[in-house]
Amino acid sequence: MTYLFQILNGIGLGMLYFLLAVGLSIIFGLLQFVNFAHGAFYLLGAYLAYEGVERGLSFWVAMPLAAVIVAALAGVTERLLLRRVYKLPHTFHILVTVGLALVVQEFVIIVWGPLGGNVAAPDELSGVMILGDFIYPQYRLFVIGFTAILAAALWWLLDRTRLGAIVRAGSESPQNMALLGYDTLSINTAIFALGAGLAGLAGALAAPMRGVEPFMGVEALGIAFVVVVIGGMGSYAGALAAGILVGVAQSLMATLWPEGARLVIYLGMAGIIMAMPRGLLGRA
Amino acid sequence: MLRSARAADGPLVIGAPLPISGAFAANGKFASLGAAFAAREAAAALGRKIVVTDIDTEGKPAPAARKLQEAMAQGTRLFAGGILSSEALVMGKEATKSDGVFITTAGADEITGSDCNRGTFRWSVPTFGAIAQTVRPLIEQMPQAKRWYTITPQYVFGEGLLSAAKVVFQEKGIEHVGNSYHSLAEKEFSGYLTNAIAAKPDVLLLLNFGSQSSDALRQAVSFGLKKRMTIVLAWASGLEQFEALGADLCEGVYFGVQYWHGIDSPLNKELVSKLRESAKMTPNYSFAGSYQITKLLLDAVAKAGSAESPAVIKALEGLGYSGLTGHEEIRAADHQIIKDYYLLKGKAKSAMKDKDDFADVVTAGKSFLSPESAGCKMQQG
Repeated sequence: MTYLFQILNGIGLGMLYFLLAVGLSIIFGLLQFVNFAHGAFYLLGAYLAYEGVERGLSFWVAMPLAAVIVAALAGVTERLLLRRVYKLPHTFHILVTVGLALVVQEFVIIVWGPLGGNVAAPDELSGVMILGDFIYPQYRLFVIGFTAILAAALWWLLDRTRLGAIVRAGSESPQNMALLGYDTLSINTAIFALGAGLAGLAGALAAPMRGVEPFMGVEALGIAFVVVVIGGMGSYAGALAAGILVGVAQSLMATLWPEGARLVIYLGMAGIIMAMPRGLLGRA
Repeated sequence: MLRSARAADGPLVIGAPLPISGAFAANGKFASLGAAFAAREAAAALGRKIVVTDIDTEGKPAPAARKLQEAMAQGTRLFAGGILSSEALVMGKEATKSDGVFITTAGADEITGSDCNRGTFRWSVPTFGAIAQTVRPLIEQMPQAKRWYTITPQYVFGEGLLSAAKVVFQEKGIEHVGNSYHSLAEKEFSGYLTNAIAAKPDVLLLLNFGSQSSDALRQAVSFGLKKRMTIVLAWASGLEQFEALGADLCEGVYFGVQYWHGIDSPLNKELVSKLRESAKMTPNYSFAGSYQITKLLLDAVAKAGSAESPAVIKALEGLGYSGLTGHEEIRAADHQIIKDYYLLKGKAKSAMKDKDDFADVVTAGKSFLSPESAGCKMQQG
């Protein structure tokens, strides 16, 4: 029974990891851009939600507002800075985005201080669900449901709509898209803003579960990369599968071998890279 | 002798090896402020310019040891810092090797126990005392709470707290219904909490520190555990942790602390008053601990009339003084400072008298192993 509960708990964790990683995967898959500032957008989303709630906004307003502000800031950053390095080797992507992440982290410390803060779960979701001996926070249940709906909406947007087709075509052949009259630069900006906005949303959603503290972006970036590497760089379905896999493995290990719960994630990643260099569902 | 210290050339340099970056950076930054505050006060009394140099240990033993060696190569011999046990243990050894003095606030028993050495002093109560002053009084207050579950970080500090807790459990007939170890990098505690829930304990004892104990507590409360069991943090950071968590999360939770700004001692009252006036802040544990150890080092320099390590060590050994927690004394045999440890209980937001009044002091007291029982075999220099 304990294992069943840990699996359920792991699915909840995994959905959060998916949301954290999917933006990173989309940005890499469509723009071929390695974004080490992804954790910083997550951090910013969490702090903006915290600030909104502190200023008296309802969490239901603060959470989407934080994601929209992060997406807008990311869009501006992409226009002013990042598009200048798209064509350069990945090492330049890493240098620029790591620098950006450090700037954001220091900005957070200057504005909000080095101590963390707490974000209360909305009143409607502050209780727990009791299933026999299993207790699960209602807020975490909401995160699972909300993320599942968001995952379906993203899949539909990118795979089933004309907009999604344009985005995918733009990533495959920007020259042909430009000849057809599409503004590929704006498409790139929109993709980057979408990916960063998803990270911001993940941060805002995580705030009532994890609180906020200035170094949360670094940890989030690590998990996001693990999920993306296991799932396959650029694979949307891979991010979902890997997110759940990592969450369940981590949760199960808390019972089987607690002190190795984190180690198993990285060992698992190494094993998958050795067996399947492109990840579980990475594109050839 | 005092005249010769005053007449010494150049500023007196104190190294402050602290985690300025990484997961414990918030503690390091407050500690840095505390060291600087103590130095400013002491400069007037000593009649000599004092420079406190932050050394970023990153909260890791290897960079801490390397950077301490670099500082010593540049001539620094006096150090106050080392928040984490793992980094403090290596820095104490490095300082002693090169004839330096290192005072720390870290908690592992080994610092003044099996790894004690001539150059290392420790202000904080070790893990043995922290458990004795939190677990023991709570067992007495809650005789019906017979089942305890622990969550422990797997490194020297966590192991120290856990083994001390097991001794008290055995002695008091408490059933230790389970323990979950976790890594020092862990942020997600839901899996461990699920294990704890399954064990149906009366008390959940958290043996981690800093942001990890905050994360564990936050998640425990979200799982509704506060209503089902008593939650105890054996080693809390005090005010900084209360501020980060907020009163609602802390209400009804027990916290073991080294320092609390409400302590009724002359030096503490003076510090609280001065800091509130000058910086509009109330001292938290990181600030106060660092302030106290830097002050001790500088008081020893003044007493010795010299900044040379052997003289400073001699001045510190056996020193009794009016400290932040009242009368404190440095035990010469193992360089452990004998001081109170406090058990607090978080109060409701509506009961807070001011923005910092997060908790009531439930009990306070001193619990220390003898140097022999702690395993200290000090080599005399």
